[in-house]
Order: sequence, then structure tokens, then C-alpha cells
Amino acid sequence: MQKLVVIGAGMASGRVLEHLFEAEAPYEVTLFNAEPRGNYNRIMLSPVLSGEKSFAEIVTHGDAWYDEHAVTCRFGEKVTAIDRARKVVVGENGAVPYDKLLIATGSAPFIIPLPGHDLPGVVAYRDLEDTNAMIEASAKPGSRAVVIGGGLLGLEAAAGLRLRGMDVTVLHLMGHLMERQLDEAAGYLLKQDLEKRGIDVMLNASTKAIEGDGKVERVVLEDGTVLEADIVCMAVGIRPAGQIGADAGLECGKAIKVDAHMRTSDPDIFAVGECVEFDGNLFGLVAPLYDQARVVAKTLRGEDDVFTMRELSTKLKVTGCDLFSAGDFAQGEGREDIVFRDPARGIYKRLVIEDDRLVGAVLYGDTADGNWFFGLIKDETCIEEMRDTLIYGPAFQGGGAAGQDPLAAVAALPPEAEICGCNGICKNQIVDAIGAGANTLETLRAQTKASASCGTCTGLVEQLLAVTLGDSFETGGAKPVCGCTELTHEDVRRLIKARALRSQTAVWQELGWLTVNGCPSCRPAINFYLLAEWPLDYQDDAQSRFVNERNHANIQKDGTYSVMPRMWGGMTSADELLAIATAAKKYDAAVKVTGGQRIDLLGIEKDDLPAIWADLNAAGMVSGHAYSKGLRTVKTCVGTDWCRFGTQDSTGLGIKLEKKLWGSWTPHKVKMGVSGCPRNCAEATCKDVGVICVDSGYQIGVAGAAGMDLRETKRLVDVATEDEVIEWTTAFVQLYRENAKYLDRPYKWVDKVGLDWVKDVLSDPAERAALNERFEISQSVYRKDPWAERATEPEARKFQPLADLTMEPAE
Amino acid sequence: MQESNQAIADDRSFIRAAELWLPEGETLKPGGGHYGNAGGFADVTARTAFAKGEGLPGKAWEQRRALVLDRFNGSCFIRHEAAETAGLTCAVALPIFADQVLKAILVVFCGGDADHVGAIEVWEERDGLLHLDDGYYGASTDFAQASKDVTFARGQGLPGGVWSARTPILMRDIGASQGFVRSDSAGRTGLKTGLGIPLPSPDGKVRVATFLSAPNTPLASRFEIWDAREERVGSQRRAVRIDGICEREGPLWPKLNPPIDILGVHPWQGPIGQVLGTGLPHVVGNGVALPAGYRSMVAVPIYRGETLAFITAWYL
Amino acid sequence: MTWTDVGALSDIPLRGARTVKTASGCVAIFRTGEEELFATSAICAHKRGPLAEGMVHGRKVTCPLHSWTYSLETGEAQGADKGSIATYPVKYEEGRVLLKLGALAEQAAA
Repeated sequence: MQKLVVIGAGMASGRVLEHLFEAEAPYEVTLFNAEPRGNYNRIMLSPVLSGEKSFAEIVTHGDAWYDEHAVTCRFGEKVTAIDRARKVVVGENGAVPYDKLLIATGSAPFIIPLPGHDLPGVVAYRDLEDTNAMIEASAKPGSRAVVIGGGLLGLEAAAGLRLRGMDVTVLHLMGHLMERQLDEAAGYLLKQDLEKRGIDVMLNASTKAIEGDGKVERVVLEDGTVLEADIVCMAVGIRPAGQIGADAGLECGKAIKVDAHMRTSDPDIFAVGECVEFDGNLFGLVAPLYDQARVVAKTLRGEDDVFTMRELSTKLKVTGCDLFSAGDFAQGEGREDIVFRDPARGIYKRLVIEDDRLVGAVLYGDTADGNWFFGLIKDETCIEEMRDTLIYGPAFQGGGAAGQDPLAAVAALPPEAEICGCNGICKNQIVDAIGAGANTLETLRAQTKASASCGTCTGLVEQLLAVTLGDSFETGGAKPVCGCTELTHEDVRRLIKARALRSQTAVWQELGWLTVNGCPSCRPAINFYLLAEWPLDYQDDAQSRFVNERNHANIQKDGTYSVMPRMWGGMTSADELLAIATAAKKYDAAVKVTGGQRIDLLGIEKDDLPAIWADLNAAGMVSGHAYSKGLRTVKTCVGTDWCRFGTQDSTGLGIKLEKKLWGSWTPHKVKMGVSGCPRNCAEATCKDVGVICVDSGYQIGVAGAAGMDLRETKRLVDVATEDEVIEWTTAFVQLYRENAKYLDRPYKWVDKVGLDWVKDVLSDPAERAALNERFEISQSVYRKDPWAERATEPEARKFQPLADLTMEPAE
Repeated sequence: MQESNQAIADDRSFIRAAELWLPEGETLKPGGGHYGNAGGFADVTARTAFAKGEGLPGKAWEQRRALVLDRFNGSCFIRHEAAETAGLTCAVALPIFADQVLKAILVVFCGGDADHVGAIEVWEERDGLLHLDDGYYGASTDFAQASKDVTFARGQGLPGGVWSARTPILMRDIGASQGFVRSDSAGRTGLKTGLGIPLPSPDGKVRVATFLSAPNTPLASRFEIWDAREERVGSQRRAVRIDGICEREGPLWPKLNPPIDILGVHPWQGPIGQVLGTGLPHVVGNGVALPAGYRSMVAVPIYRGETLAFITAWYL
Repeated sequence: MTWTDVGALSDIPLRGARTVKTASGCVAIFRTGEEELFATSAICAHKRGPLAEGMVHGRKVTCPLHSWTYSLETGEAQGADKGSIATYPVKYEEGRVLLKLGALAEQAAA
């Protein structure tokens, strides 16, 4: 009998031994394991952590099994060296000779060398000791856990600790969970699922340090956030643990190199599992390990077999989370996505097809067909014939397929969801009225008042009719936002509010977007709607803004920018003009006086933007927002201060309005004017809001235009005081923000909803007050100078190239 | 062997009997049951029917929610003489709903004496937390007290886990996972295994039932959870056993990855298949078609909306 | 040919881009919603628009000047527009972005 020594009693070497003992094996086996126990099903540690399995249940090989196969077990004993010259393995308790040696030392968890990473209470998640340490920590009442790493292991740890009763926060460096296995949409659903379990998930969260006095007490993030913690679980990845092989002089790359027979550079030494490198590949999932184990066992028996790489699939072991991913699901040239979303059931499926072959699949919420898809990927089956019905799975092949239902988003609304904001009508009231016989839009409007006021919810009301009445109702066929959805702008706005959708990913999933992450048409619109609805919660997404709004300057045809500081009410001073002149010289700018009573500096390079902003800031000037879909200028005449005809202080009022409204984001740009008398020197009657001062007070006109369309303002109201002008104007702007379609100027919006409706709403003092209040809430975030924030580090750096390699040699 | 197992089931187990009541028009008719040694009680039951509001099953029907009776005397329980003769002192009635439709009422009986440890509880959501609505604790009095004082948030402990995952969960080690107050007394009481099931309610309220078991007087000797959702098994009606534990056979969950060794049944195939086929709970009292050594079983369908989603079963 | 470290992944916004100046021209490095990196010439083939300022959607970028849309993978203009931009090897390892400079020089020389 030859002597076989195995280092490491894990899942890979365990499977080797099982195969070896399937028939009479010509080997005497000695098995070393650093852990004080034999082989157990390591990937089932998560249910042990959660209490859903006991450790006894996941033991693969018990004492009896090792006895039966006469394996000499040296558990709890570390191997210190391999002496290849003498062909012995040296353990802590003595050496053992070998004829064949199998290294199966697996991997070690990767610990980020953060300050405090070595404090007691920081654990990895790799073995039973780690698991027990976490179970022990969870026994303390009200204890808190922070899990660093939102990959497979980290999330399983988080779910387990939560089930044990802990308060759990997951910190993930990337923009979505499990980014290696999931796309953004599936990552969003997973995050939601975990949050429903009471787990806090923080994305783009970079850990700075772990702190505590003698043990873990808190985790500090780069952005200054501090999280209390009794235990920190670091689950950021694994590294091959093949040092013993490297020390013995075996050829190593990132791990111990093996050939397709799993043989190392020494023909009598084999390696298997996570400690090996094959053809540049490392291993972490169990399926290829089992393939390797089969090859090792056969090779040891003298039979022929070779290891080949194959596609992998992933499942997350969190009870109630149905998730499956396989193959390559990145988008790309020549690749086509098939996306299916069922918002009502929280289902997302995406298939990636290339050359009539399925190359990747991500399934969330419905994983029934996962193995079938996996088979198609592995076998590279030609799917040309079933392409149209592929996403519905094997059951649909040969049969008819149900299409994606564009009404699903409306069908999924809860009964109490508000459909008509003007009249406070909820879904159930509309459905009840339809049930009682109101089967047309007109009768519904008459009976419930739903969509009878501003009319922006008409699309939704029509869809409710269609959902409730089935095929017997035809919708009006309004124009959708873009090719990514069947819904109109108005529908999307209402649904964001009714469903409390607070992120773009939520909108894409819950409203059944047909693309993975939108397009340049819908992204800026959705970004604005979210920002207008949730000013405090929603983080403005710069990447969903056009370049001008992202860079806070206007891009010109040659790629340079124009910079225009604000001149409140068109007033400036000698000092400001000196600073502008100095900046213009310093940055070699062309200088233009604009129609909005300000000065434009043209031809500024992007790299110079933070510097010129800093210079202008230093002279007390701020951004003029000449680039934004927001308040641009308030044009004024000189008013009673200087003009012999002036009736009121038009300049002063203009400045007050501008100071109130600047910085706010609106569906499109907003320009205002205040003229001191009906001679209208400030041209206020072609502005979005124009105020004409008269002896008795102020005439407020709205919905003017002087662009492609030319419109005179329509009179909204006459008021007596400046305060009332500001109150009405603010209320009008807020109403416009809350209701208009993205990229509709106020005149277009007023055309759609009717000036009467606008007057109706604004003539109610309570309504005006509420609009003013909501405007102020939003301004608490946005009434500040975007230039000042970007003129200093770390923001200023983002305007420079990531790197300048012009001095770097190419080779 | 058979006989000694039978003795375990009858004397040691916390659950003594179980029966089904099926709505037929305006009355509830007996739908079968297992009664162990309580043969006389079975005879009385076979001759009984309940109107809405009448007796424990009728009352559960009327109130459309789970009810716990920890003693029969002076309660709504009509068959109390026969029950007490048979040594049954407490009952839990669980209405099984598919959306708004009552499918059946399952009544579980326990025998109350100082030796029997176990618990059957009903949790209800109020203000974002699960509170104890009602429970039967046998001899575990200090655990009963601890349970009154504890609440569970989403995802926490067995009740919170069932709530957030919307699936039945079988826990091996409730000791350390029930919130500190309860784990302490659970440990002392010897409660170790826990089965939690969502109780869909027509009023839309979140309710969860938990069955907690101690090794010496187990609620049952074998538990199983089957998944019948289309999202898991595909469009062909089927159920697969996703978890289970058995005193005799050990773990009952699939060992391979991917789980190609998972056990599956089709409608009408064996007792679990009966539940799939009828959509109703199923009770076996004579050992027919049960795993070796078992004489009785109760299988309960769990609906999501109108669709049968899971089946949980326990065996004595 | 060597990989050059040009910065941290977190310096590039998700669904955004940053530029790198090189001896052979300006390169844009894109980070997609799926956490993938692509590197292309930073200049639009149409009217020299700065592509790093465009909107990144899927594996595509749309030029901020006249909305030409390119595949980041092949550099080909999409739809009716005809033209292409150079693409370069880029990858990330342990949070760092690595660009292959040799490929740039080659293409510049070619």
C-alpha cells in the first residue's frame, strides 16, 4: 500500500477521499487538519449561524466514517513543512512519510488592514470558530453587528445575525450588493429584501477605522459616519492559503499552480480546491472543487481524467430570498438583453443572449427555471427557435407566451394609494366607482372627480379602468417617457409619489422599466422627479444630469465652458466688476453682456473651473445658475430709486425674489422680471413669472415666453404688498415643480392644466402656505452656492483628469 | 419497535391529537383527525357539526383568526367532557385561509400536566412589532411570562424571521435566537426546536404561529417544510422538501449543490401530495403511507394570496 | 506592455467617467452601472465633444454635444451615426484602476 498524506480536511479533499474509497483504494491515508475536527459542509455554516441548522447536521464525515476507511486523523495539528527531498510531511507532533501528497489547505479570509482590524470582536466568516464567536456576540441583549462586505458571505452573515436578534448594518463599498453575481436591478431587490428583515444596508460605504478600548466598540466610515458595534464581521473575500506549497518550492502564482490533472510542479504532489491556481484561475465556489476532486481521485488511481473550467451558478442561502445568477450577464456589443419584471411579485429576470446562445441569467424572486437556464448556458444550446418565449422558461416552449403586462405597475398599487392628488382620490375609490358602473373616463371624472382638475393623472385613471374592466377598455395611448417604459411622464410622477419610490433603481424595478438602467431621455427626468418629491431623502444623481448641470457651467462647441456669476436683480458694483475683469484676464475669457442683466465669461477650460469659481467667490459672487433647469435671473428696471416714472422698488423686489428662489431645481429653466411701471422696461410680460408694479401694488403674470414660442404673460393675481408677491410667486414655482412634466416650461404646463386650475389652487391661502412650506424644505438643501462646494478639495480635484501620464513612457 | 414508537408518540409528545373541520355551506363538518389513545373523543367528534360561532372551531371561523383555549371548562368548548375523559385539556384552533376563503380549521390538542414542556403561540403585528396574541405553554410557566413581555421586530428571532421571509422556518436552536429574556428561560425550560409558520389572515394583519418543542416531550418527532411556489418548482404543480429534521433519519434537506437530490412530490402522491391536490390540510391517524416508525401526521397548507405556497408537516 | 495605476475606482463616479491625459491623447475611463470599466478616446468622432462628460447608460455613452452614442466596448457609433472611437484595455484590481499604456502608443503609431 502506498502512503497518501492529505493536508486539510475541507470539502474538496473530503470529496477526493470519498471518490478514492468508492472502490478498493491502494492507499493508506493520513489526514491533517488545522481545525480540531473533520470535514463538514462549510457552505452550510450560514444556517448554523442563523439557528436554522445545527452543526451536527452539516458534518460530512464523522469519526465513524474515518474509522471505517482507516484514515489516520491528525486533527487540530498544523503542518509546519513539506520536505520534498525526504518525502515527509512535518506536523507539529511529528513527521509522516508520503508516496503521494495532496495539498488542500483551502483559503484564508481577507482582512482589510484597517486601523483596529486586530481588536477583539473583529471576526472573519470562514469556520465554525468564527460562527460560534458571532453566535456568542448575539446573545447580549440589544447588541449590534456591523458586517463589512455585501457579497454572498457577508449577506448570509447579516441575515443570520439578524435572525439571532442583533441590530445589523451591512457596509458595502460598491454601488449595489453582490456586484460580482448580480446586476444593479437584482441588487436593488436584494437590498429591499434585506431591509424588510430589519437589516440596514449602506452602499458606497468606505470604512476608515474600527475603534474601541480593548475591544470593538464602533466603526468609522470615510464620510464621518460612526456606527456602534459589539462585533464586526469582515467578509470581503478570500485569499488562497497555499503558503505551505510555496515554502516547499512548488511553482506558485497567486496560489499553487496545477495542471489539468491537479498535479503541482512536483509529480508526487497534488493540490485541490481554493489553494490552487489553474490556467490563471482561482476558485471559491464549490462546484469546480468537486470536479477537481474527481480528477485527483482518478489520477491517484491511475485513471485518466482532466479538469476543465465551466460556467458557475450562484445561490444565496437566506431563507425567503430567491436569487439565482449564472454565466456572464454584462451588457455588450452583439449582446441582447431580455428583461422581464413583475413589480407586484418583486420579480426580475434578465437573460443575456449572444449569437443565439444564452450566455448569462440573473433571476430574482422566481428561480424555478434557474437550472434550465444554467443548462442552456453550459451546453451552449442554440436558442434561436425559442428566443421570444425563452424568458418564460421550459413550460412555455412550444406554447403561447404571455407578454409583459404594461398595466402591472398600476395593478400593484395598494388600495389606499393616492391617484388624483388634486382631489385626494385613492385607488380604491376609483376602483369602487368603476365597479359601480362608471366605465368611461368621463363618468369616472363626474362621479369621483379623479383626474377632473389638473388632469395629469389621466393616464393612471385610464390604466385603472383598463385593469378593472379588462379588455373592454381602450386607453388613450398617451406618449410614454421614452423607449424604456410604457408610462407617461405624468404616470411616473404620480407613481413615484403613490408608491413612495425613493431611488432610480426603485423606479426602474417597481415600474417595470424595459432597460437595465434607463437612457439619456428618462434618466434626467426621473432624477428630477425624485428630487422634487423627496428633497431630503433623495441624493441628486450627477450622472443623470446633462453636462452643464453636472459641471455647473455651460459647455461650448469647443468643449470649453462659460461662467456667469449671479448679479442679484441685475445690480453689481465696481468691486464685482473689477473681480470679473481680473478673472477674465487671468483665464483669457471672452466677455459678453447678456440679456438677463449679467456678464458671461466664455472660453474657460474645465480644469480651470474650480479656480475661477474660487476667485469669484472671494469677491462675494456665487453661481448664476445660467446652466440649470432652475431659476436663472430676475431682470429688473431701476424702479423708484432712480426712475421718475417708477411706482415701486422693482429692483429691491427683484433681489428679494432672486434671493428666495435661487438654487431651486425646476422642470425647465425659470426666468423672471420685475418692471417698476407699466412701461415695462424689464420686459416682464414675456417671462415665466413677470411682475408689473402699479400705484396700487403689483400685477403678477405667469406663463410668458420669448423663445421658439412667443407668449405674453397671463394675469395670475393682483396683490398689494411685496410679501404677497413673494408668497404667490413661490407657490406658483412650487406648484410647477410638483406637477409639470420634465422639460415643459411653465407656459407649456399652464397650457396643459389650464390657468383656471392654477388660480383655483393658489387662491386657497392654506394651499399657498403649504406650497411655500414645501418649497422651503427643498431649499434647505439646495439654496446654496454649488461653486463654493466645488471650488475646494476634495470636490475640485474631480474637475482635473484622473491622471496625467503625458510624461510617462509608453513602454 | 413499532409499538415502542407508538408509545413515544402517545405519552411523550406535547401534541396529543389533531383534527380537521371543513366548511360545508353554513356548517363545519369533521374532516378527519388523529386521536392517539383518545378513541372515545374521536367517536363523539364524528357525530358533531358546528355552526358559525359555535364551539371552538365555529368561533375560530366566525372570528377568522387563531384561538387558543388553555382549559375547556367554562369555555366555548362543547366536547369538553369527552375531551377531559381522554386526557386532553387544551386546544389551539388555526383557521387556514386562501385569501378571503376559509379552507379548513385545524384543531390541535395538548394534554396538560407538569411533565409536558412545549409551546404553541400566535403572534400579531402592532405598530411594527410582533406581540404575543395568545399562547399555550403547558408546564412552561416562566417561559409563558417571558413571552408576554417580549416583542420581535422584522427579521428578529423565529417570529420576526417568518414575518420578513414570508415562509415557514424550522429552527434547530431557538435558545440563542429568541431575544435575551426568552432565550434564558427557553434554555432552562429545554425548548430547542421551533417551527414558525405565517398565518395569512383575511383582515390583512400579519400573524405568525410558532410551535416550540423540547427534546423530552417533543411536539412531534419529525418536521418538514415543502415549497410549492411556482417561483421555485416551475409551472408544473409540484412540491419540493426544502427543510426537515427527524429523530430517526436525521436531517431531511438536500445535501448536494445544486440540490439535485431534493425530494419532490406531485399532486395526490402520498400525504403531502394530498395537500397539493386538495389544497386542504391533511391528517393521517393510522400510519398509512408514512415514513417508517410514524403513526400519525398533520400537513398544513400555507397560502400566499389565493395560491398554495408552502406545506408544513409534523409527524408523531 | 505594462498596466499603469491611474487612480482609485472610487474616484470615478458610478455611471460616470474621468479622463486621463497621455502622451498619445486624452483617454476617458468609464464606470458602468454594472461596475465595469471601459477606456476609450475621450473625443467624439463627430465634432470633438468631450465624451467623459456624456451620460453613461448600459454599456454606452452619449456625447453631451450632439447626442452621438457609442458602444464603450467596440467604440462604434450606434444607430444612424457612422464613426468610431478608439478603445483601450483597462481593468481594476483591489480597488485600483489599471490602464494599459502600450496599447495607446501602438494605436497612436498605427
